[in-house]
Amino acid sequence: MNKEEIIAELKTIIKPYSEETAAFESIDEDTDFLTDLKINSANLVDIVLDIEEKFNIEIDNDSMAKMLTVKATVEVIESKRGNGGQ
Amino acid sequence: MVGNDIVDLNLAKIQSNWQRKGYLDKIFNSNEKLLVSSAEDPDVMVWLLWSMKEAAYKIHNRKTGIREYAPKKLACSMLQKTDLTLGIVNIDEVMYFTKSSINSAYVHSISSFTPHQLDEIKISIYELPNHPSNYRETKPGCISHHGKYLALAY
Repeated sequence: MNKEEIIAELKTIIKPYSEETAAFESIDEDTDFLTDLKINSANLVDIVLDIEEKFNIEIDNDSMAKMLTVKATVEVIESKRGNGGQ
Repeated sequence: MVGNDIVDLNLAKIQSNWQRKGYLDKIFNSNEKLLVSSAEDPDVMVWLLWSMKEAAYKIHNRKTGIREYAPKKLACSMLQKTDLTLGIVNIDEVMYFTKSSINSAYVHSISSFTPHQLDEIKISIYELPNHPSNYRETKPGCISHHGKYLALAY
């Protein structure tokens, strides 16, 4: 799975939690979940849990701490899946 | 410096399912989970602890410049077992004091560096559709917005 594919999966996970349709449509690596997508901070936990299920990975607290942007989240997913993925 | 956070309980009910498997493990330590499981109203306890963490994080973030999503680093405790309104949140080595108000519609928490400062905080809470359009001109020290509610702390 390459970066684009990870971002595409991520978008389907994030969509139900974002009310900012315009920001969601123009999502890119620099998009911030809280400030750009206005995702409720309590729903970030749901996103982390959804990512764990979808990608079959376990996200530790230190990794979760970084997951405020698309870029950081993709990096966490890539590192947990092992470099290069499967 | 002042922090504040409001949770619209009706919105929280539809927006978040904290009973989802793994959810509380990501945000609460064992002591906090015990507070939830032994609470008369676990739903309110979840959002009380969450608002305490958010209120404390807002000051901590401004003080340190550190921005991260690490709810478990923020450890909540109540000053007295029987009183849910006065609490402490520890972040790394720093201690913040919180005062909360709880009713059937919302949970609201304010935070500061000392208990004395808590008493000096002025709070305004507005319910939709009565949010003042010019509230930013009143220069609130911290703004919190959730569901129907706008909470300002000065």
